Amino acid sequence: MLADLALVLLDTANRVLTLLLVALGLAVTFGLMGIVNLAHGEFFLLGAYAHVALERLGLGFWWGLLLAPVFVGAAGWILEVVVIRRIQDRPLDSLVATWGVGLAIKQAVVLLFGPASHTVAPPFATTVAIAGTSYPVYRLFVMALALAATGLTILLLLRTPFGLMVRGTVADRGLAAATGLPVRRLDALAFAYGSALAGLAGAATAPLMSVDPQMGVGFLLPAFLSVLVAPASGAFGTVVGAAVVGGSESLAATVVSPVVAQLLVLAGAVLLLRLAAGRRYGRER
Amino acid sequence: MPIVRRSVLAQLAAAPVLLAAGRLRAQARAVKVGAVLPFSGGLELFGEQARLGLELAAAEINAKGGILGRPVEILFEDDKTDPKTAVEKASRLVTRDEVVAIFGPITSSNRDAMAPTMARARTPLLYATNYEGGACGRYLFVFNTVPNQELAKLLPYLFKNKGQSFYFFGADYVWPQKMFQHAEKIVAALGGKVLGRELTPFGVKEFAPVIRRIEASGAKVLLFALPGADGITFIRQAEDLGLLKKLTVGFLGFSEAYLGAFGPGKGQDMYVAVPFVASSEATGPREFVARIRARAGRDAVVSHYVMTHWLALTAMARALEKVGRIDREAVVEGLEGLTVEAPTGPVTIGAKDHHVTLAMFLARTQGDQLVTVEALGPIAPESGCA
Repeated sequence: MLADLALVLLDTANRVLTLLLVALGLAVTFGLMGIVNLAHGEFFLLGAYAHVALERLGLGFWWGLLLAPVFVGAAGWILEVVVIRRIQDRPLDSLVATWGVGLAIKQAVVLLFGPASHTVAPPFATTVAIAGTSYPVYRLFVMALALAATGLTILLLLRTPFGLMVRGTVADRGLAAATGLPVRRLDALAFAYGSALAGLAGAATAPLMSVDPQMGVGFLLPAFLSVLVAPASGAFGTVVGAAVVGGSESLAATVVSPVVAQLLVLAGAVLLLRLAAGRRYGRER
Repeated sequence: MPIVRRSVLAQLAAAPVLLAAGRLRAQARAVKVGAVLPFSGGLELFGEQARLGLELAAAEINAKGGILGRPVEILFEDDKTDPKTAVEKASRLVTRDEVVAIFGPITSSNRDAMAPTMARARTPLLYATNYEGGACGRYLFVFNTVPNQELAKLLPYLFKNKGQSFYFFGADYVWPQKMFQHAEKIVAALGGKVLGRELTPFGVKEFAPVIRRIEASGAKVLLFALPGADGITFIRQAEDLGLLKKLTVGFLGFSEAYLGAFGPGKGQDMYVAVPFVASSEATGPREFVARIRARAGRDAVVSHYVMTHWLALTAMARALEKVGRIDREAVVEGLEGLTVEAPTGPVTIGAKDHHVTLAMFLARTQGDQLVTVEALGPIAPESGCA
């Protein structure tokens, strides 16, 4: 019984941390900068496919994991400069524009790689004995990576001059510009960073699932939910948000069917937003 | 299709004045059929498989002089895996292009959406994807399997060789539900036990809780009906978490299109019953695969979807020749009760239920191939139609 409980906790921790890795990029672009980027799922997808492509070029797993975020970060930078900055004051338009960009990316992937599923083999196929079962080491690695990426993002935002400037720009754009901060460049860099995190998530989780043109969709909703229900914007809040969304989903799925689990999570999120929304937006304004 | 275009071009070059007349004549001569298939929106893979089969059939028919002397021309339309688009495309094919029949679609939701339009327009819909059964009508013909054809021999085999306790897991829509209803009856009749039955929404990326529950049930056979990418994700995770060592998977809807998606050496020893196995050594399938690959390239994936779509168009050509007339009613009259020679042997189309009796094969994944375990012989459909 104790072993069973440990196993449930392990699986839940895995789900929460994987979700955290995906939601972290959104925490920056959506949570902090306020940009609703519906192409975030496709950036995740790009990360996974960049990994596939780099492995095909003969670079090993680790190079793929390293370079995929760089590539996706560059794609994010281009998206910011070409599209998002031009419609910054029109959130509804940015919704449609980023959705369109997402569709274009997905179809480009179909044209380049075909509609079939691809695989990325994990760098180690070993398992360790935990909680009375043999647990794949790669899953532990992804969990550690999620924690490391979250720690680094928090440090970057709270402890570096770059983070200070980004937060300053978000807090008061006019004042930041007046003091001579390069606000436009900061926007682009911060957005590129958030996108690179999505790319990292895609590249890191690729060995755990089918790599196909639709893979981004499944993560977009829970990732947005994680950022939405977070008690505060930024990386700290998203840790809590991912824990709430991923944890409740995973725990619910251990006792009821996945269909009911998903319904419960959505209902819970709606309830939470309804109850907490006033408080949250009240504070921000 | 290229032949028609080329002849039009030749006339154009020879006598520009005759262009309009020439094109009109060419259009009047070709027997037009429509194909409403997903070429975007998620199920591209199956749309492309269907296209391979239809194009080969058309090329073979035209090489032999066409249908009653007229070449056949396929008008492909992308339904974007979306029911509304499928209906729009079908209406356009029926009214503007005046096709004699439409092939496709892939999903049940698109087929159910198109069927009333097709019946109203009195235009036959030739559907060649395995499905849950119960789609009936004068203008609907099915050229692939219904649940009993996939399950009738598969379950007894798994029961006898792999274990007597079953767990059902699949996607939450009509096909897995009907499959499982049917499977439950067969397992009960065998004297086996169903230890659990569970459905999941599409788009789930983490199956650990379900995998633990299946493992804890102690079932020896997992009857699995989660198609597409989600199915691949589940199998990969079931492999990683050690589930596949403890039971055998009966993978409903499996075909060659999935091969290679699990990674080398993964997803081994999974079972399915299919109407066509590409790796077969028998002359018919071997030659069929060679004909497809001569057109589509040496690495082209050939699944039963290629064969059934080829079968549908080939059968339509035979039907029209049998009746001796080319129109929509002739397709229906000709197809009813027709027997066609497929690469796997004779296929008979039910005169009343419009479903096919065809040879089935028990197959399993082995290495990077789907290989035949046993030829099951022809199995008649329990279509759910009178």
